[in-house]
Amino acid sequence: MTEAGVTVRERAPVEGAVSTAAGAPIAQAGLWRDAWRRYVRNRGAVVAAIVFLIIVVYCFVVPGFTIPLAGVDVPGAWTATQDIDPNKVEFSDANQGPSLAHPFGTDQFGRDLFARNAEGGQVSIIIGFGATFAILVIGILYGSISGFVGGKVDNGMMRFLDALYGLPYLPFAIITLQIVGEVSVLTMVISLSIASWFTTARIVRGQIITLKGNDYVRAARAVGARWYRILGRHLLPNTLGVLVIAVFLELPTVVLGEAFLSFIGLGINPPDASWGALAEEGRDVYRTYPYIIAVPSLAIATLVLCANFIADGVRDALDPRTRET
Amino acid sequence: MDTIRRILLVCALVAVSVLVAAACGGGGGGDGDADGDGGGQPAAEQVIRINLGSEPPSLDPVLATDNISSFVLQQIMDPLVRLDQDSQPVAALAESWDVEGTTLTFHLRDDGQWTNGDPVTAEDFVYSWKRLLDPKAAAEYAYQFYGIVGAEEYNTCERNCDRLADRIGVEAVDERTLRVELISEQPWIVSQMTHQSFYPVHRATVEEFGDRWTEPENIVTSGPFTVIEWQHDQSMVLEKWDEFRAADEVDLTRVEMRMISDGVTALQAFEAGEVDACLDDACIPPQEIDRLKETEEFIVVPSLSTYYYGLNLKNVPDVNQRLALSFALDRTEIVEQVTKAGEIPATSMAPEGMPGWDVYHQEFLPTTADLEQAQAYLDQAQNPKTDLTLVYNNAPGHKEIATAVQSQWSEIGMNVEIKQQEWAQFLEFIGPPPNRQVDVFRLGWLGDYVDAFNFLELWRCDSGNNSTHYCDPEYDDLVDQARATPEDEERYELYRQMEEMLFGENGAHPIVPIYWYTTTTLRKTNVEGWEPNILAQYDLSRVTITE
Amino acid sequence: MTTFVLRRVFWTIPVILLVILLTFLLMRQIEGNPFRKTERAVPEAIQRNLEEKYNLDEPWYVQYALYVKGVFTWDFGPSLVIRGRTVNDIIHQQFPASIELGLLAFMWAILLGVPAGILAAVRPNSVFDYSAMFFSNVGYALPSFFVATIAIYFFAVRWSLVPTSGWGDSWTFDSRKLLPSLTLGLLPMAYFARLVRGTMLETLQQDYVRTAKAKGLRWRRIVGLHVLRNSLIPVVTAAGPLLGYIITGSFVIELIFNVPGIGRYYVTAVEGRDYSVVMGLTVILSLIIVVANLIVDVLYGFLDPKTREAAA
Repeated sequence: MTEAGVTVRERAPVEGAVSTAAGAPIAQAGLWRDAWRRYVRNRGAVVAAIVFLIIVVYCFVVPGFTIPLAGVDVPGAWTATQDIDPNKVEFSDANQGPSLAHPFGTDQFGRDLFARNAEGGQVSIIIGFGATFAILVIGILYGSISGFVGGKVDNGMMRFLDALYGLPYLPFAIITLQIVGEVSVLTMVISLSIASWFTTARIVRGQIITLKGNDYVRAARAVGARWYRILGRHLLPNTLGVLVIAVFLELPTVVLGEAFLSFIGLGINPPDASWGALAEEGRDVYRTYPYIIAVPSLAIATLVLCANFIADGVRDALDPRTRET
Repeated sequence: MDTIRRILLVCALVAVSVLVAAACGGGGGGDGDADGDGGGQPAAEQVIRINLGSEPPSLDPVLATDNISSFVLQQIMDPLVRLDQDSQPVAALAESWDVEGTTLTFHLRDDGQWTNGDPVTAEDFVYSWKRLLDPKAAAEYAYQFYGIVGAEEYNTCERNCDRLADRIGVEAVDERTLRVELISEQPWIVSQMTHQSFYPVHRATVEEFGDRWTEPENIVTSGPFTVIEWQHDQSMVLEKWDEFRAADEVDLTRVEMRMISDGVTALQAFEAGEVDACLDDACIPPQEIDRLKETEEFIVVPSLSTYYYGLNLKNVPDVNQRLALSFALDRTEIVEQVTKAGEIPATSMAPEGMPGWDVYHQEFLPTTADLEQAQAYLDQAQNPKTDLTLVYNNAPGHKEIATAVQSQWSEIGMNVEIKQQEWAQFLEFIGPPPNRQVDVFRLGWLGDYVDAFNFLELWRCDSGNNSTHYCDPEYDDLVDQARATPEDEERYELYRQMEEMLFGENGAHPIVPIYWYTTTTLRKTNVEGWEPNILAQYDLSRVTITE
Repeated sequence: MTTFVLRRVFWTIPVILLVILLTFLLMRQIEGNPFRKTERAVPEAIQRNLEEKYNLDEPWYVQYALYVKGVFTWDFGPSLVIRGRTVNDIIHQQFPASIELGLLAFMWAILLGVPAGILAAVRPNSVFDYSAMFFSNVGYALPSFFVATIAIYFFAVRWSLVPTSGWGDSWTFDSRKLLPSLTLGLLPMAYFARLVRGTMLETLQQDYVRTAKAKGLRWRRIVGLHVLRNSLIPVVTAAGPLLGYIITGSFVIELIFNVPGIGRYYVTAVEGRDYSVVMGLTVILSLIIVVANLIVDVLYGFLDPKTREAAA
């Protein structure tokens, strides 16, 4: 969805000029530019975004990167065989404290925790965004169909959604994981999104219904635009702001959910590990080597905090009224 | 709103709290000090607080299959025989027993009684054993009785079973004489009867309350302690039963048991002094062993159990590759760097400490990695499978071993993919027969009784525990011979031949033995007599709390 | 209004039926044998006997029908793994602890979170505002297993202020209940504090507040009378789902603090393939969420007439 939004933002002025369907796209482009300006002015949100980026870069670059000191340089490979390999067992290096060679220390197998936390972050972030994406896709499909079609279909779909609301999220994630049997990034994404898309669907439907009443949509209808065009061109892009916020609000829930599942032993297969699994390993020895649990836990916390600040920032940027003075 | 200051403040505070936590945590290693030096006078208050680790699933000998239920049953029931510290069966409720060929006769004491005052009679045993063998009861441990005439037939019967119940070779000759007819000699059978599935139950109580006879308000027991209170999933309280036939020898007056399942929390409770002793490793998170084994509270005793990796012979058909895997495995590194609880590197199936070990033990496999030899074997192997899938269940400790093995096998070019499953799924997956995806699987065998037979019969063709596809009629012959060989030395010789067929130079190597377990446990130093025996059984009637 | 409430209550029945059906069908997809607990294989004859005993040999629709009948007569059947205990036993014995833990956590969230949010909003950008927001951000972001571990270490092991773990009798004061309920309450506490602060700040800028101020009403009175009331509405809305979340989301807390609730049972039951226990607990958990949502909808109906009309 995000990509579609970007395209709209860039191309809209041109198309808007030739479009007969009122001036909506132009107003929309202006809205996004204003929003961007407001976001950049919000230093808190900017800092959060930068920290967020730093974490992502750390997670995705470190595991494939070899420290020049280690000799052979294999940049770009996802798992190099050098010291930085997150899964390299070296018992002579076991349980070392933080040092220059191992900024986050090593675990009982002598594996470098700097690399393992980066790799764990990768897993957590991929699962986090993957599940968020899945939740949004299902939510948007369900919500927009229901909201757009309206009438009896809408009523039926919403009643069904009401029923689904009764499903407890974590238990269903656990059951789903047991059914697929094998825990991988993909199955984790499925299990985390299977009982979590209900709220998104409701929000999207609400947005669509509000927007449907707007003048430019009526105008588009009046000139005979097809329904999918109205949906794709006018309705969805306008719910985009809400969705960006939703992504960053949903991400923490998913990341924490994954951490809980890993923590109770339902994480992905070793030697790979997510932050939750690393924290679980660290909890055993938290008194002797407290950094083993602290690093991944704080990484989760930082990611969650940043996501929240970003969501707040986007919200403030899109709706200046809610800004506090 | 000045968000940036808020964020900076947040970061600073987080950093400070972590430093504080780290500083405090680092110094915390020595907190688990001993409460006393032990060996003192008995304390005035003889109360022990134990962490069981989880709820005992059942106190009914028919249903108890786990070490926790078994622990509680050992304290509240009066068995025929107990296992002493030398792993020999000694008299308990049975004063003595005679063996004549395949007939076994127990003579019961006359002062054994139930908590409601009824005497414990031979008839109680006949009833209890038949109840356990009843096909409708579906007891998991029924196979323990299959050495008794008619037991297997009755247990696996599908219709009109009652007549078969009368043909079981168990008979109460009189109130105090119990006669058992065996299908073959099985010289280990008396020691096997220390197992909880052979414990008697009180007929009238079971018949009156049905499934609920084990609830504290209903239960009738016969051992040194009796159940006073049971708050499910939280606590269970036992009290000394003053009418017990040997009550004079029992010091403890009260046993308070908790069910803290999380190892880290349990250890915290132990170190905070809320718990005096822990059943097995209920308070020992695997990675904390390093720190704990330096304390005086740590106990480690050998255990009759084998930890091994099974190989699926359909996927790894070439014996040379199996040999290569076994030779590339560094057993010493695993017990010294990973498990760390004094386990012994294993080179044969039946563990060290078993009678006859000197005779049957194989020393063909190396205890540390022999990569050269491993590579040589691998070179001889036809189309070795280099991408191996290793499956284990996600209980604590297995992941660490798998990680080490994965790394060790990579030395000879094996690319091992680890697959973690939880117990039920895992058991389903490994079969027998094993799922086609399984190349290597982890398992352990915990001895039911003190004889190598228990470990070696697992590799029969039709064994329900043989998930390797190993099948050799010659081996099965040896098993049958051993079952009917009462003379120890002759039988040990048969065991030697079996071990050699498995792990000798020309052996089939269907599994890779890794180590023989130890039982580890924690207890405060003022708890005397807590040491478990070789089958990891504890006897609270011998425990004393000192000042 | 009565029709609205009745309609809403009536709607919970198909919801529960759907939950049962989904759980039932999902559980059937899991492979695994509830009767095999050890390495030792279960002989075939015994397996057959057990399946017969628990109706597992019936076709699935018969099993489902039997189950639904059981639920409506409040009989969830026997546990397959913990033989000798029924699911009803487990629910009656373990649920009080879970509910109490959830309610206590909720109480902390209201007692500490709401006032913190109010005070922070009344004095924005003050030291108090910063520290309140710091704690609520941290409380929201830190994984609860980390907080729980640290809390036990300091409060129980190091300073010996409270016992490390355990629970005690239901509905009585017990110092063992403090740490788990506070840890579980941290997230909703943080949520409430932020929510209340946000809405209060917004309300404070509304015209009517400015008017009231201009009219010379005393500040305290304005906050107490107008702002507070309007700012608490979102709290009520959020409370329902959050309460459901707390009561069902306590798995990790129950595990770490050894609280004898259903959370721990749930995980072991799923892993042990204890179908009847998983079904029973899921149905109960769903019931709680459904009831929590129901209460909120009804409350909301009272607060906002538009919803009521739309529903009718």
